[in-house]
Amino acid sequence: METGDEINICSDNEVNDYYGEDANNTDCNYDSLIKEEDSLDSDSDSPVAKKRPRLEGPPDRNYKVLKQSDIRERQEKTIAEVAMVLSVSKAVATVLLRHYNWSAGKVHEAWFSDEDRVRKNLGLLPIIEFPLDSTEVKCGICFDLFPTRDEIVSAACGHPYCVECFRGYIRTSINDGPGCLMLRCPDLSCSAVVDQDMVNSLVSEEEKQKYSTYLYRSYVEENKKIKWCPGPGCEHAIEFDDNQGWDVTCACDFSFCWNCVEDAHRPVDCETVANWMAKNDDESETKTWILAQTKPCPKCAKPIEKNEGCMHMTCHSPCRYQFCWICLGDWHNHINCNGYKEDKRKEVEDAKRHVQKYNHYYERWAAHNLSRLKAVSDLGRVQTEQIEQLSEIHGKTQIELGFIAEAWQQIVECRRVLKWTYAYGYYLPEAEDAKKQLFEFLQGEAEAGLERLHGYAEKEVRQFLNADERSVNFEGFELKLKSLTGVTKKYFEKLVRALENGLSEVQEAGKSYMEEHCISYFEICELPN
Amino acid sequence: MIDFGRVQKELQECSRDMAASGIKVSPKSDNLARLVGTIPGPIGTPYEGGTFQIDISLPDGYPFEPPKMQFATKVWHPNISSQSGAICLDILKDQWSPALTLKTALLSVQALLSAPEPDDPQDAVVAQQYIREHQTFLGTARYWTESFAKASSLGVEEKVQRLVEMGFAEAHVRSALEAVGGDENLALEKLCSG
Repeated sequence: METGDEINICSDNEVNDYYGEDANNTDCNYDSLIKEEDSLDSDSDSPVAKKRPRLEGPPDRNYKVLKQSDIRERQEKTIAEVAMVLSVSKAVATVLLRHYNWSAGKVHEAWFSDEDRVRKNLGLLPIIEFPLDSTEVKCGICFDLFPTRDEIVSAACGHPYCVECFRGYIRTSINDGPGCLMLRCPDLSCSAVVDQDMVNSLVSEEEKQKYSTYLYRSYVEENKKIKWCPGPGCEHAIEFDDNQGWDVTCACDFSFCWNCVEDAHRPVDCETVANWMAKNDDESETKTWILAQTKPCPKCAKPIEKNEGCMHMTCHSPCRYQFCWICLGDWHNHINCNGYKEDKRKEVEDAKRHVQKYNHYYERWAAHNLSRLKAVSDLGRVQTEQIEQLSEIHGKTQIELGFIAEAWQQIVECRRVLKWTYAYGYYLPEAEDAKKQLFEFLQGEAEAGLERLHGYAEKEVRQFLNADERSVNFEGFELKLKSLTGVTKKYFEKLVRALENGLSEVQEAGKSYMEEHCISYFEICELPN
Repeated sequence: MIDFGRVQKELQECSRDMAASGIKVSPKSDNLARLVGTIPGPIGTPYEGGTFQIDISLPDGYPFEPPKMQFATKVWHPNISSQSGAICLDILKDQWSPALTLKTALLSVQALLSAPEPDDPQDAVVAQQYIREHQTFLGTARYWTESFAKASSLGVEEKVQRLVEMGFAEAHVRSALEAVGGDENLALEKLCSG
């Protein structure tokens, strides 16, 4: 009832749900996928998959990408449906739907439980005709008198305004922005709605268009289940169904978290990401100044700026601790501090350590972010240039060379995950040593695997781009790149799963988890060169 | 373009019932885009007895866009800037409607003088004083009314000067005048007793 026919364009949208439905399968199913694809490809006797071995998103994925035409179609359908069920004009149905966040269900519920109240609240008044016996009508805006009603218009309330003034009123409102969708009679005490029919009867084509664009946008912006894709220049919207993992990927390839509209950040939760981003904003400007100009109060650790000449400092209330600015010692038994003592003060060390810790995580977060952006542009280059060149030199079809793009897609995705694990690591409580160890172990393995894959995809391919080097072992390259892609994927699946479980394996198995579950990276990578 | 026909009708209407409303609007120049409004301070408020001038400038979109209004007379009020005279009032911003007029807008400004809204302040200092030290606020508001909004009565500077000539320190004279709302005799009593 609430939504019309749903247009699902998942199939043209090549989305990899990297850690989706196979999350419980501890064996990497990369190989089995290749086999499946092979069996479909009956003409081929080569072990190389002709189709790109990709994981399609599950058919019952919990979100849908909506194109502009889909959104318009749904909007029109919902309006038509409400207009029909309630026997009202489409313009009135639109007013109702906008008020109830475009939920036809809610409109029906409210309308059929108390139509009068809904009409009153939304200004959908019964039409009142202005008395015909009055000889002259005064426009409520220009105060001119009009001899006939022909030049007078009103909303349902009947407050009279001349056509020119009402047009000016609507036009000003449309040019002011989407507030025009809630336009009421100009009379301040009157709540009668000015609906789309009235707007369309008075304004120019250009203004009608503007109004209709605001209306179109409101379908997404006021709908609790749909959000615009924040991807640059993208005009799609994403409809979200339930909350099993917030990450979505639009048809434009932009991935984001539907909940907080930050870049996709699975496996790290929205709160951690928000804290981390806010911290990054604060740190950059303020922190440098604080470090240079202030010292933390030795008692309450609040940063203190010295703004007067003497060294006798008194902290703000409620602390009121008095101390020496130079040695940070208690002022009451302070005599002098000119002599050198090799005394590392804990408080100072703590503050310093905190900054160092932050810098450690931030540096890595930022580096993986940059590396990911570079990989995104490299992926584009691979898909447009490199694969074409290789296809020419080595006589392979572009489909056969799909494994290269596949590797790059994996790199992009892994950089994204790795970046966010550094925000996760920063907030991991220091006291939980076992968790920290497991986390760093998994992160380290994943990172090492990714560096190897990234380096191989970036450098090794160069020798094959030279037309004279046809003899070199291209099959070997293909096999190794595919294996590295699969292995790296497996490591990241493990990392993502562990973080999503809050590293709970630690409680069950203690440190032995690592020995039992984590096969050495290099064992897996014993592959032909 | 400004609808000058309407502005003229407004001016006529306004002058017709000036006696009843006490509100006056007159053009500043001959093109009617810049006007001056005058409102009496509401009775029973610290603004009582004052006459407040408001600069009005009409935007091109008038009456579809709100008139710009600003106090020309200095006034001590939480929703009016004590520095610039800027007014914080919804109908002069997003709640404006072309069915409102300069007169109704000025009536709303007058109503704002009677009923300040310190939770939505234009002048944070005044608003803090209004909430925390209400008596001081009333005294200051009265003193400002006395000093700036009463053109006919003697200027405060003259009172100050006369009291200073009687031998009181200027700072004491000013604070005494402010405390009693600008009344010279009460200020003298206060200075003599304290």
